[in-house]
Amino acid sequence: MIKIEGLTILLGSFRLKDFCIEIAEGEFHFLLGPTGSGKTLILESIIGLHKPKKGKIWIGEREVQTLPPERREISYVPQDLALFPHLNVRENILYGIKAKNHSLKTYEEYIESLIQVMRVGHLLERYPANLSGGEKKRVALLRALAPKPKLLLLDEPLSGLDPSIKFEIQQLLKTLHASFHPTVLCVSHDFEEAYLLGDKMTIFIDGKVEQVGKRDDVFLKPRSQKVAQFLGLKNLYRGKVLAKEEADQRWVLSFNNLQFSVPGDACQVQMEIGKEVDLFIRPEEVMIIREGKPVKESLKKNIFEGKISDIADRGRHHTILFQDKEEKIFFEISIPNYAFRNLDLSIGKSVKVALRDESLWVMR
Amino acid sequence: MIGAAICIFIFYFGLLASLLFSASLKGFWESLLHPSTLFSIRLSLIAATIATLLAVAIGLPSAYALSRFEFRGKRIVDTFLEIPIIMSPIALGASFLVFFNTPLGEAIQRKGIFFVFEFPGIILAQFATIAGLATRLMKTSLDEISPRYEAVARSLGSSSWQAFYRVTLPLSFRGLLASVILSWAKAAGEFGATVTLAGAMPGKTETMPIAIFTALASANIEKAIVLILILVFLGLVALYAVRFTGKIYRYD
Repeated sequence: MIKIEGLTILLGSFRLKDFCIEIAEGEFHFLLGPTGSGKTLILESIIGLHKPKKGKIWIGEREVQTLPPERREISYVPQDLALFPHLNVRENILYGIKAKNHSLKTYEEYIESLIQVMRVGHLLERYPANLSGGEKKRVALLRALAPKPKLLLLDEPLSGLDPSIKFEIQQLLKTLHASFHPTVLCVSHDFEEAYLLGDKMTIFIDGKVEQVGKRDDVFLKPRSQKVAQFLGLKNLYRGKVLAKEEADQRWVLSFNNLQFSVPGDACQVQMEIGKEVDLFIRPEEVMIIREGKPVKESLKKNIFEGKISDIADRGRHHTILFQDKEEKIFFEISIPNYAFRNLDLSIGKSVKVALRDESLWVMR
Repeated sequence: MIGAAICIFIFYFGLLASLLFSASLKGFWESLLHPSTLFSIRLSLIAATIATLLAVAIGLPSAYALSRFEFRGKRIVDTFLEIPIIMSPIALGASFLVFFNTPLGEAIQRKGIFFVFEFPGIILAQFATIAGLATRLMKTSLDEISPRYEAVARSLGSSSWQAFYRVTLPLSFRGLLASVILSWAKAAGEFGATVTLAGAMPGKTETMPIAIFTALASANIEKAIVLILILVFLGLVALYAVRFTGKIYRYD
């Protein structure tokens, strides 16, 4: 278990107060936040390159904040990789084991399997200047993992790569994690990256931890509008609590004079009548009702009539922009391709949609 | 623009050619093998080498600190490195003479090493002239090496010293060596400060540049030309050494 408590950094104009994070052994943890939010500085403090003003860092049972970087057993892959240009790939990979004066013998098998998984066997005698972008990434990851660190820190591992290489490295990181189970803390501003790779994530915005949780919890149940916006979620509306439906434990919200009935357990905040809250409509949970088909009782609370104002083919699914007939709200609906074909949708067509209970989420 | 470059070349080349033109081969060997000439050459080489070693010993750690760390007064230290460049060498030498007349300077000379008009004076004068330059040049070479390499080396288990000599030193070696060679050449050619502090005593403190001056003063043109050619030759060798030393790494 890696634990950081009350990390406070004051460096130039940068201020971080009481940053905390917990990473279980073998977990792939993402520290996600917009660029320029000081994530790299947090990483550098964990490694020991900066002396934080305050705070404790535990690696397992060991408290390491007073130790120099070389005694923390934390490996680091910076964004620019920093492969040693004067050493060939083999020497780069073995650097950590040699620096720690460990015997190469005990690591031989492990290194061999790493080299195989990373597919760098044919590159061992080359120098970094003669490697492609993807090859460099692979070597840098291998070099960091070689001395069996207790924690692996990755700084934006997929940024600045061509799409095809990006995919390759992403798959590699997955395989790597599945076969060697390193404990990873990965810093990124890319929520898609985090979605594809992360077990757990910490969302860090404006110097504050906004949300910590399992990947799906964070993506499906953002705690605040800030998080939702950062995660690129569409269909966010600022509304007001109108009334409570005591019998069904539901709340009625209004947005632009439209009314929504939200189940109590979809409300992340303390609800009071008159309070302003943020409503999030999950695009993939909205249902388009087939003409002439009877509507289920459970869906009747949130039915809207309107028309399709735009359609975008996203490859694996279609995104439909729905506009209600009084033009008070627009929202995106995301439907699978087969449903799109079956419903025979086109721009301008009048449709009736139902917001399933699962599609509604209320945040602070 | 290429024309301008060629003009500069012709300018310097003409200057050197005129030296060769004025020298006669017989007189050349005679002057070269004269004991006083050989003494000056030896003295210059030894003094410049010691001065350079001292300058590196103190300059390299300073250059590293200036390149890697932020500390109070860094800017002032950085500016002071240029003192020997903006200060006329003779002023530098004269300052030393003044210093050795203060109670502290006198105490140093009485209880420690005698500098004024002595061999250590040559080294001190040359050291003073090149220490700032050597530090500045070495700092520039270290600046080119991203501190990230050391950061990674340390995370992989190297102490700060190991990270320096296993990563930063080999990466900046070419630049550092070039700085050392240039500083050495500058020390070997130093005149003003040396002559002011150590004097121009033949067979004692007469380095090559000083010998050129005294040879000219006594109208011994032949000897002056020999010494000039040797100095130029040493300088050119040093410059070529700079170009051809070290393994060249490609960075990206």
